[in-house]
Amino acid sequence: MTVKLMQGNEAVGWGAIAAGCKFYAGYPITPSTEIAEMLSRELPKVGGKFIQMEDEIASLAACIGASVGGLKSLTATSGPGFSLMQEHIGYAAMTEIPVVIVDVQRLGPSTGQPTSASQGDVMQTRWGTHGDHPMIVLCPVSVSQSFDLTVKAFNYSEKYRTPVILLLDEVIGHMREKIELPEFESVEHVERIATDVPPEWYKPYGDSLSDVPPMANFGEGYRYHITGLFHDVLGYPTTRLDEIDPWIQRVHRKIERNLNDITLVEEDLSESDKTVVVTYGASARSALHAVKLARQRRTKVGMVTLLTIWPFAEAEISRVARIAKRIIVPEMNLGQLALEVERVAGRNKVVRVNRANGEMVTPQMILEAIEDR
Amino acid sequence: MPTQFEHTEYMYLRSTKKFPNVWCAGCGIGIVMGALIRAIDRIGLEKDDVALVSGIGCTGRMPVYMDFNTIHTTHGRALAFATGLKIAKPKMKVIAIMGDGDAMAIGGNHFIHAARRNIGIAAIVVNNAIYGMTGGQYSPTTPVGAKATTAPYGNIEPPMPICELAKAAGATYVARSTVYHAVELDRFIEQAIRKNGFSLVEAVSYCPTTYGRMNKLGTTVDMMRLLKEDSISMTAAEKLSPEEREKKIVRGVLHDVEKPEYTQLYEQLIQRVQQAQPANPVKT
Amino acid sequence: MSEPSVIEQPKAEIRTSPKKGPRGQVTVFANWCKGCGICVAFCPTGVLALDDDDHPVVVYPEKCTACHWCDTHCPDLAIIVKKIEI
Repeated sequence: MTVKLMQGNEAVGWGAIAAGCKFYAGYPITPSTEIAEMLSRELPKVGGKFIQMEDEIASLAACIGASVGGLKSLTATSGPGFSLMQEHIGYAAMTEIPVVIVDVQRLGPSTGQPTSASQGDVMQTRWGTHGDHPMIVLCPVSVSQSFDLTVKAFNYSEKYRTPVILLLDEVIGHMREKIELPEFESVEHVERIATDVPPEWYKPYGDSLSDVPPMANFGEGYRYHITGLFHDVLGYPTTRLDEIDPWIQRVHRKIERNLNDITLVEEDLSESDKTVVVTYGASARSALHAVKLARQRRTKVGMVTLLTIWPFAEAEISRVARIAKRIIVPEMNLGQLALEVERVAGRNKVVRVNRANGEMVTPQMILEAIEDR
Repeated sequence: MPTQFEHTEYMYLRSTKKFPNVWCAGCGIGIVMGALIRAIDRIGLEKDDVALVSGIGCTGRMPVYMDFNTIHTTHGRALAFATGLKIAKPKMKVIAIMGDGDAMAIGGNHFIHAARRNIGIAAIVVNNAIYGMTGGQYSPTTPVGAKATTAPYGNIEPPMPICELAKAAGATYVARSTVYHAVELDRFIEQAIRKNGFSLVEAVSYCPTTYGRMNKLGTTVDMMRLLKEDSISMTAAEKLSPEEREKKIVRGVLHDVEKPEYTQLYEQLIQRVQQAQPANPVKT
Repeated sequence: MSEPSVIEQPKAEIRTSPKKGPRGQVTVFANWCKGCGICVAFCPTGVLALDDDDHPVVVYPEKCTACHWCDTHCPDLAIIVKKIEI
């Protein structure tokens, strides 16, 4: 264990290395560039490969290609680049290829304000790519969590054969905090499930008890077809409903039946908290301070921090909604996760505290909402 | 029938895939597929060592029929996927299969950068001068004056010179042939695959269903004859004036040089870095 | 999944003739053939002809010189030529 003072972006890089990442392809964009710079320096030291591709579209494509070749792959970007990556996020979801995409959010839309923070990509991470697809999106609130959730992102990605988005923002990405780096050998690695049948029997998208088919890498004795078209269990394109429907059900089921594993939530509340703050990312830092101040003033208030923002923590928020009379959702956007909270808890219970101009939602703003002023 | 199935091409087809193939009667893409298989067979590659990466379009439908590691990616991005795969598995032979729209329009940027890097990928671009799959819109290689569904008054855009572009961007092997010259084509594909660097083979073909029909080129047999008549070998082309040469499809190996290949350069980089400083992240 | 089905071809007649060259046995796979007509049109010795359904049939098997034009140019891999040892 080593104690270091580290930037959030750098912690993401170390988390990737600790998780066994051996490939990075990316394009520089503020405020994510430090991740690329760090990995360009560190990956060769561990025998990994780094390449700066010609754009974000090619970056995610190269990551998916490298993943098919057996390497755990990462790319990092921000709003404008994240918008470009949407097609390939859908491709990875359709072909069930593990890959981790980091979006360090900045103020948008469009070029926006590259050095200001925001949480404006929340809905885009869920629905940015076309078509119905599940998505796992993790959101750290500290430098330490940036390391931990990067490892988790890789592990979920391999375990569930799905792209995973790690959602930071300019605050978390650029701030420096103390972090206790563990010994990398002790960090839990999850590898993609290997197949144990002979090549002639292998079905890349076949049925499996866990709904996650074992994944063979290219060039290792198993030859099969991968396509972004709807496909049958062998990977061949199909237009048959009796092949399309089961795929849709299985791919959604593989996430839905594992919500216990995937939904990471930190709760600090009791049965008597009638006011609960539900938050994530950098806003959680302001909320933490606001809750502390409120409690000092004898206001009863609870706090729920969502580390997994998608799939949305329906069960947890339903439970909160049964006790709480008011749920406060501070966000650095005009209300995106709030839509989900409102859907689950009821619109009249939810109080939005929003700021979408690049500045953080302040503890004062949240405190005023808690104390109903 | 054992004797028939000893024939080369069938040994490389996927027995679980439905045949006949999806292309129209007389489409040149099927001819390119045969040429590709013959080339791979002659080199003697193991099927596990070959990866086919394709884009979107009629040409993109080629890999699924063959018993290799095959991946059908997004429109224009085959070379980007291929780059990642080649870096992960540098010993594999990675072959990118694209149409003219896929490689030159949406994929233009990835094309020039893959060539610039000289990454060990063999790119086969089947150039039928049209967007066939979507019904016959003009492409970056459609000749001036030709008709297409989105050029009902005749195309006014000059065509993209695929081979010259590849050469200028840094490709180390560039060749062009036609599906009429199928045997020459498979020889060029063989050389392209053997090349340790970015190699390009442009296979000129025709789309009987869209381009051929809209421009009244006749039957598939007529179009085959046209490919023979409109093309000319490099040596013969030198004797023509520039104006005459422009009207012809010049066949041959247009460029063949040696340059360091990208994945090997990166391996050397890793050696240098690891010798200078062992990986010890926590203690630094 | 479909395997190519074989048309029964008449056996190649080997006739003694002044010209001695390679000979080939042509096989057409009817259910892979789409009738594009390329093989018939370009066979240099006229081995093939189109039937009523525009599919090729071997009419003069003895004329095949195993030049392999047809089987390298068939888009459907629906015709093969096997060199016959004389």
